[in-house]
Amino acid sequence: MIAGIVVAALGLAALVLGWGLGFGSLTDPGPGLWPAIVSVVLVVTGVVIAIRRPDDTEPFTRQVVAVLLAAASLAGYAAVIEHVGFEIPTVVLLALWLRLLGAEGWRVTAVVSVVATACAYGLFISVLGVPLPHLIGA
Amino acid sequence: MWSGFAVVFEPQNLLWCLLGVTLGMLVGVLPGLGPAATIAILLPITYDLEPAPAIILLAGIFYGAQYGGTITSVLLRLPGEASTVVTVLDGHEMARQGRAGPALGIAAIGSFIGGTASIVLLSAVAPFVADFALKFGPAEYTVLALIGIFLVASLGNGTLVKGVAAAAAGLLLATVGSDPMVGEPRFVFGSDQLADGIDFVIVAMGLFGVGEILYNLEHRQSASADVPAFGRAWPSRLDWLRSRLAILRGSVVGFLLGVLPGGGATMSSLVAYAVEKRFAADPSRFGRGAIEGVAGPETANNAAATSSFIPLLVLGLPANATMAVLYGALMLQGVPPGPALIDQHPDVFWGVINSMYVGNLFLLLFSVPLIGLFVRLLKVRQSILAPLTVLITMIGVYSLRNNVFDMVLVAVLGLLGYGMKKLGFEPGPFVLAFVLGELLESAFRRSMRLFDGSLLGFVTRPISATLLALFVIAVVAVPLLRVRRHGHLDRHEVGRGGRDDAS
Repeated sequence: MIAGIVVAALGLAALVLGWGLGFGSLTDPGPGLWPAIVSVVLVVTGVVIAIRRPDDTEPFTRQVVAVLLAAASLAGYAAVIEHVGFEIPTVVLLALWLRLLGAEGWRVTAVVSVVATACAYGLFISVLGVPLPHLIGA
Repeated sequence: MWSGFAVVFEPQNLLWCLLGVTLGMLVGVLPGLGPAATIAILLPITYDLEPAPAIILLAGIFYGAQYGGTITSVLLRLPGEASTVVTVLDGHEMARQGRAGPALGIAAIGSFIGGTASIVLLSAVAPFVADFALKFGPAEYTVLALIGIFLVASLGNGTLVKGVAAAAAGLLLATVGSDPMVGEPRFVFGSDQLADGIDFVIVAMGLFGVGEILYNLEHRQSASADVPAFGRAWPSRLDWLRSRLAILRGSVVGFLLGVLPGGGATMSSLVAYAVEKRFAADPSRFGRGAIEGVAGPETANNAAATSSFIPLLVLGLPANATMAVLYGALMLQGVPPGPALIDQHPDVFWGVINSMYVGNLFLLLFSVPLIGLFVRLLKVRQSILAPLTVLITMIGVYSLRNNVFDMVLVAVLGLLGYGMKKLGFEPGPFVLAFVLGELLESAFRRSMRLFDGSLLGFVTRPISATLLALFVIAVVAVPLLRVRRHGHLDRHEVGRGGRDDAS
């Protein structure tokens, strides 16, 4: 049900925006025509899904919080590395995933996050020369 | 064609091939990341390579994964790949009877034969298909792309309507950026970062890579089961007599189904199993450790993995999700796949094709001896693997354009991929449609100009009319086929596990 509504709403929104771009005509299609065709497919499939309600969805449980936290940690990682370099955020990111999301012990968390950060430094910065912002040897 | 061998036997290319198939076997063994995700994550690393070694490496991951998935199916009843789910039925039963060695041995031999036969057929057929495809205009490409997207959307695991919805959403996302004909910005919401559109690599890495990692946070599969002992890997004379025809049939089934859009390794392994059961003198042996039930599907999935390169390399139309990622890889290398590829980049075309002979040989030689090592790797916990994979992904994304906005985008798309999977939408059709979106839109709009705005033009051109007829048949036949398939093999029969990202 929700899945269908989301799809249909996405289609409707795109249809409205596509209209703003100008449909043109079939002989001379405008920039909005193709998005509009695709949007119509979205609206139709969305309505069908909402009516049929196939029971192939998984319930969202408390675990969703962990997934949201995980995704947010990645965005946060992206937001800070340009300012404080790659080393500290990487250790923090790995520690968060290991300890909080993975329920590993403190010792594993500490060893893996520090060693993996060092390896990533060696591989990506020293060997492959990826211009990641970094503090050590900058 | 022979020049391709010169490319393959350059020492560094042999090394890339070996690395590719080893990585492939590894991800095949590990449940969690499939070949599509792995190839997506490794795309940034192939940036600095020449086209031929880059594609040799990535292709090796794809067919190598078909071997790896078998190992866990047989030993642990835990299919590493969707294409080896059906192998569980007889393969694990054989392992329980102490015959894991012959099961894995025949799978390796069958895969080698199926893969090799498929390469021979591919080499023979591809130039003709390419010649024919040179006649294709925008109308034909419109219809072909539609067929491809529809079949991939409909043959996945989810419901048909959700597959189509996911594909439409992918097509919509592909329109973000500037209009391909007149350059007008669309759906960019005033963002400079979105003005050039969204890079395919970011979509693939987000939906397949991060999306799968996030999804797996909730669905940890444990591999703590005891590994049954396996003796010698060489099948006995009787085993060989029983499976040789299964291998032959599997090669044919796999090759044919691999060429079809939406076909590929998973479907061909299911069909091959059904075929073997039908040809068997005593079908009741199936499910109780019949070696044909391992040989047929394992041969077929590898043959299909190989032949699915035909639509990709020759028509420029990826037949499944993994091929969509490889399509992106070829575009990144400045080697657009299509009918002109054989003539314009023979070194890439034949180099990649011929590397598969060598790759299959590597797999035959190494897969059985390495089984012990792979099983030990299974003991590495996902809670440790996930953070490492995600770190590699994030740094890989950054290295594309040295841009942190891309990292944020990949996180957002990862969340989208997670949400889609939760709500029963397959990411495969989404990514495939995204990849083909621009081609489809341009081809459609050019056809409309050509036909003066009349949709009838698609029907009056002979080739596009034939293709269109095939499309209509597909639309009608697919729902029927789905019913039959579910009748043949109840999903609960093999338990859950394995993903369908390769089909």
